[in-house]
Amino acid sequence: MSRRRLRRLLPVLILPLLAIAAWQVAIWVAAPREWMLPSPAAVAGAGWEARERLWFHAQWTLMISVIALIISAAVGAALAYVIARSRMARLAIYPWVIVSQVIPLVALAPLLVLWLPPFAAILVLAVLMSIFPVIVAGVDGLGAAHPDLIRATRGLGASEGWTWMHVRVPAALPRLFTGLRMAAVFVVSGAVVGELVASDRGLGALTRLSAGQFETPLTFAAVVLLALIGLGLFGAIAVAERLALPWTRRPTRPRS
Amino acid sequence: MPAKGVQVPHGTDIRIEGVRLALGDDPPMPVLGGVDLHVPAGTVAAIVGPSGCGKSTLLDVVAGLAAPDAGSISGADSVALMPQRDALMPWLTLRANIALGAELASAPRDDVGRRADEAIARLGLTGFADHYPHALSGGMRQRAALARTLLAARPAWLLDEPFGALDALTRTGMHDVLRDLMREVRPTVLLVTHDIAEAVALADRVLVAGPRPMAIVADIDAGDGADPAHAADAVMSALRTAGALA
Ligand SMILES: Nc1ncnc2c1ncn2[C@@H]1O[C@H](COP(=O)(O)OP(=O)(O)O)[C@@H](O)[C@H]1O
Ligand SMILES: [Mg+2]
Repeated sequence: MSRRRLRRLLPVLILPLLAIAAWQVAIWVAAPREWMLPSPAAVAGAGWEARERLWFHAQWTLMISVIALIISAAVGAALAYVIARSRMARLAIYPWVIVSQVIPLVALAPLLVLWLPPFAAILVLAVLMSIFPVIVAGVDGLGAAHPDLIRATRGLGASEGWTWMHVRVPAALPRLFTGLRMAAVFVVSGAVVGELVASDRGLGALTRLSAGQFETPLTFAAVVLLALIGLGLFGAIAVAERLALPWTRRPTRPRS
Repeated sequence: MPAKGVQVPHGTDIRIEGVRLALGDDPPMPVLGGVDLHVPAGTVAAIVGPSGCGKSTLLDVVAGLAAPDAGSISGADSVALMPQRDALMPWLTLRANIALGAELASAPRDDVGRRADEAIARLGLTGFADHYPHALSGGMRQRAALARTLLAARPAWLLDEPFGALDALTRTGMHDVLRDLMREVRPTVLLVTHDIAEAVALADRVLVAGPRPMAIVADIDAGDGADPAHAADAVMSALRTAGALA
């Protein structure tokens, strides 16, 4: 790693290092029981010891999160298109999409478990908790194309439908990706809530089981892994964005 | 360099009679107040008028993008409209942007690339074809917009303040580019500009538009036989008479 990259990376580590230090100091000062608050070293040790068990559960959470994120992206983008394109849909559907977010979705979890098999219930919850930013960003993006771009193509004979596919949709992609990055984070929370309530597998289930048996270091390790999964999904979307939208990168060459 | 293969059909007059249009609701605001004009095939007419008087609206009506409340327009499907600034798609390379013109003209698929490359060469953009618009200068983007308009293969062009966003030096260069292109292709051109010198330099006639609701208040000869300084003075005094100068 070059020195420059190292210097850019270091500031990112300041807060976590401070947090771990404060945590360790709290352990020294208050000396709590390990099942109340384990030390950072105890968490690392427990995590390493239970690595196979953690991996078993992490795979499950990762799989559900990825599937739910794909569903949110596809269904959210499609809904955004319909809402932006049709006045009727904008009036009939969009307000309810917004109202649906006022319901604390976590409270729906027990109901979903009642109605659906566990896997489906978790998936639905993860989708519900991640689709909203996709829809809102998509609708905003579809309205964001500069009017001159539409006038320029209509003025060369393009139909209204053509401008939707070739102007409004590509112009919406940067904002859509912003929504997707938010969805990537929310989808993990959704999966965990589902697993807490409805599953014996997944990191959400593991936090419930381990905390219930006072294996607190393992609970902490699971939480750290969950954060890493969220970061990973966020990063994956960012990479996809760079690949899909080369034109949003700043010019590498001075303007001539 | 001759534009072999770049063909634009000849011979469309632009003819507008008694066009009226009000925009907005309660109350509708009259924007076009009975516009009459006639641009004979293959000639260039400039429209000069105060900002907000309805020039862009008029071009929309001629291009068929807005329906007038009254009056008649001939040849809406034979015009290509080029809006203010370049209006290139930021997500397409220069070549793909230019090719849009041919695609919208329903050129045969395997012909589109060839025509785009010809237009790129014709407008001196060789070497920049694979750049995205944001990496190029205003002048280059404007050339690309002209190339796209050219490939639409329509006999009449409506240019809406095409060089309004360029610096003076680049603008003068673009005048030469456009003049050469028009001399070669012979389109019928309606050019909207707020630059009197530009109107006199490029057009055969300068039409002066009065303040909203718009009407044509003067028609001034600026062809090869006319004295440019004299034509510019005439445009100025017509604008003053119309109350178009603040
Ligand atoms: N959709 C619209 N609804 C209401 N007013 C409009 C609309 N479009 C344009 N106008 C008004 O019509 C007038 C003429 O606009 P425009 O044709 O763009 O002027 P110009 O191109 O001459 O500067 C302006 O005062 C503008 O505010
Ligand atoms: Mg205008």
